[in-house]
Amino acid sequence: MSAFLLAAAGCVLATVALGLVRILRGPGDAERMMAAQLLGSGGVATLLLLGAASGASGVEDVALTLALLAAFASVAFFKRAPGAAADDADRG
Amino acid sequence: MQRVYGAKRAALVRGAGYLALWIVLIGLDPLDLAVGVVASAAATWASLRLLAPGTHAVRLGALPGFALRFLRQSVVAGVDVAHRAFSPRMPLRPGFVTHPTGYPRGAGRNAFASLSSLLPGTVPVRDDAQGLLYHCLDVEQPVLAALAEDEAAVARVLPRTDRA
Amino acid sequence: MSAALDLFTIVAVSAGVVFFLAGTVGLLRFPDALTRLHALTKADNLGLGLIVLGLLPRVDGVQAGLKLVAVWLLALLASAVASQLIARVARRAGQST
Repeated sequence: MSAFLLAAAGCVLATVALGLVRILRGPGDAERMMAAQLLGSGGVATLLLLGAASGASGVEDVALTLALLAAFASVAFFKRAPGAAADDADRG
Repeated sequence: MQRVYGAKRAALVRGAGYLALWIVLIGLDPLDLAVGVVASAAATWASLRLLAPGTHAVRLGALPGFALRFLRQSVVAGVDVAHRAFSPRMPLRPGFVTHPTGYPRGAGRNAFASLSSLLPGTVPVRDDAQGLLYHCLDVEQPVLAALAEDEAAVARVLPRTDRA
Repeated sequence: MSAALDLFTIVAVSAGVVFFLAGTVGLLRFPDALTRLHALTKADNLGLGLIVLGLLPRVDGVQAGLKLVAVWLLALLASAVASQLIARVARRAGQST
């Protein structure tokens, strides 16, 4: 079973890497934020599979932290993106 | 008096929720639990300051039914996008629609927008006086009817009338 | 029973991997940032959900299981917030060109 879970982790990692190549080829602001999002969800899946395969404890905590970091990265990037202030202004 | 009672109740409910989350994430070890009580108290304080109690009452009884519907919709959303991605013809008719939401602008509408971003074929793009602007993968689908249905389902858990 | 649970894990995790693949195929094939955003968020959320579902029978104890589900819910929350912000940035970029 460990072998299967390891293989699954490898597959997810490969799709994440492939997606990242596409995203980083067209590097607009939206693409950069998508890269963070892809690394977040794909990274969490990979970590959980690796943790289950190896039986190592604490991997879920790393996965949890990664999920939160990806969210904060998007919010932080949005605040810094050009025009974000204008967009916020017309919300009020 | 009603307000004070509401605030106290909101603090208790939210505090219990945060502590439950802490226990799920960290465990029941007594020393960890002591830290958890402090952390949940801090989280409750912050949440009461950021989202005043009583304005957005959640109907907990309707939550399980909604969760089931939400799970089913997540599966439909994933299958829909996977089907379009894998199909050689790649059937996409992207476009924008405005959904005239019944949620007034604010936390309630934001919550609905966030939930609807996980539903099939739609991503909320903009929130203005006309309502919520959505980007759709296929504008020939009955997107507005689906959004109205989703909003009715969310409203059973999170009523649209603000009690503030 | 154990064999049945193993089979369940294999089926659910494999399906999860397929949805991650679908997300990436959508990223590669879809024409613009907003349509690619659909592929990224919806497919990956379901993929992660299925992988969590497949790993559930293998955890020891209820708390560990709830924790896995909590990881998925947090990832969903992150995705729901991020996708709206990305959509706004993408639309702005689309308008300016």
